[in-house]
Amino acid sequence: MFLTRFRINTARIGARRLLTSPQSLHAAVMASFAERPDHQGGGPRVLWRLDHQSRSEVLLYIVSPDRPDLTHLVEQAGWPTTGGWQTKPYAPFLSRLAIDDTWTFRLTANPVHSIRRHAAEPTKRTAHVTPRHQLDWLLKRQTDAGFTVVERSEPRPDGLDGAWHEVVVRNRSDLAFGKRNETDDRSHKVKVTRVTFDGRLRVVDPDALRRTLTAGLGKAKAYGCGLMTLAPAEQTR
Amino acid sequence: MSDRTSVLTLRLAGPLQSWGASSRFARRTTERAPTKSGVVGLLAAAQGRDRAADIADLAALRFAVRLDQPGTRVRDYQTAHHAETGKSMPVSERFYLSDAVFVAAVEGDTDLIGALHAAVRSPVYLPFLGRRSCPPSRPVDLRVHRGGLWRALESEPWQASAWVQRRRSHERRVELEVIADLPTGEGPGDAVRDRPLSFDPHHRRYGLRAVHSRAVTVPNPLGGSPSTSRRDFVPPKHDPMGLLED
Repeated sequence: MFLTRFRINTARIGARRLLTSPQSLHAAVMASFAERPDHQGGGPRVLWRLDHQSRSEVLLYIVSPDRPDLTHLVEQAGWPTTGGWQTKPYAPFLSRLAIDDTWTFRLTANPVHSIRRHAAEPTKRTAHVTPRHQLDWLLKRQTDAGFTVVERSEPRPDGLDGAWHEVVVRNRSDLAFGKRNETDDRSHKVKVTRVTFDGRLRVVDPDALRRTLTAGLGKAKAYGCGLMTLAPAEQTR
Repeated sequence: MSDRTSVLTLRLAGPLQSWGASSRFARRTTERAPTKSGVVGLLAAAQGRDRAADIADLAALRFAVRLDQPGTRVRDYQTAHHAETGKSMPVSERFYLSDAVFVAAVEGDTDLIGALHAAVRSPVYLPFLGRRSCPPSRPVDLRVHRGGLWRALESEPWQASAWVQRRRSHERRVELEVIADLPTGEGPGDAVRDRPLSFDPHHRRYGLRAVHSRAVTVPNPLGGSPSTSRRDFVPPKHDPMGLLED
């Protein structure tokens, strides 16, 4: 596995197209691999995510089974003469994950559930809209995904019962674009709600967490959702 | 201020309000704040007084109104047809204040103020905000204060909606305009035809009233709270590459 970081030059026309169209960025990421990535089954796959650190600093992270070549991205939306991209092997880090480690994490995901309004209706995938429900979506999946979000020791500031986690839900964005079906060439509308979680987690099941980090969490993985990354947790807290 | 006077404060908040002072014929305008005649009418209605009843005691109350949330003026082009004959009624233009909140205060004899407070808590005729089509969104009575009109208006908490308070969260105290009766013998003031003499439907009469505008400052409940604007938000640092060896 490899982890890749590419900084997008937001001053360029090519960057505009990639940042506004999740489809174009998905195609560009997939074009980084000489051999077409295989996404059958629940194994490791290509995942990507955009981190908007500030208006001018936008980073593209890619996790992939094969080493990518982002030359075409550098030419369209990078700094061709002075900057490229960084790719590092992910496996050594993944193999070091151990129970009870704490890490800060960032995850951009598509929190959805399937509902129906009455028994006769087929269920329909529906986005969670409020931060409360979006966080509940993450907490519901954490055990299967091999981690728990760290709980705060202080009581909740709003006076309600229940746990208060070290996590923020931010950066909600709704994507909507037209897409043409590959099989029957019919066009339809795609709507995806993206939201970013930033917080601290404790490793519970290293194998499950490795799977989460390499195979992704949740839906809409083609459109920049599902990639979780870890960074060192500060020791001060 | 003598011991024999108290102040009753009222919260006038609703989706629409309309306080006319000088409208005639088909163009029904609104002032930018509740009128004394409108509030006196509300109090008289709460007490169950007849239209033709004597209101001299209510008209003699000292009146002031605080503009907690000025709202926006909206215009309604109203057409109507008679329910039975089907004939069209005169086309009229009606003006309203939308999403406004005011605190009105009346000062007077303690017994009368107590009676009025009891009346607005269980009104005979329902209160409305200047026009019968404008119901209040919350109970209108706040409380009875001792110690003068201005003390009451300064001690009454800011009644504006949370979004207005949040918008001014950089101010710990906010200045609110007050339009009040001008004490006799002071300045020329502004004259408005807003001294109710009689609400008799056959012959409504209003006298002139001298008003002046002042300001009071009250604390902002949401003042000094951290701004939640998106521009100020800096995402936390997150560097997953630093962990990995080449």
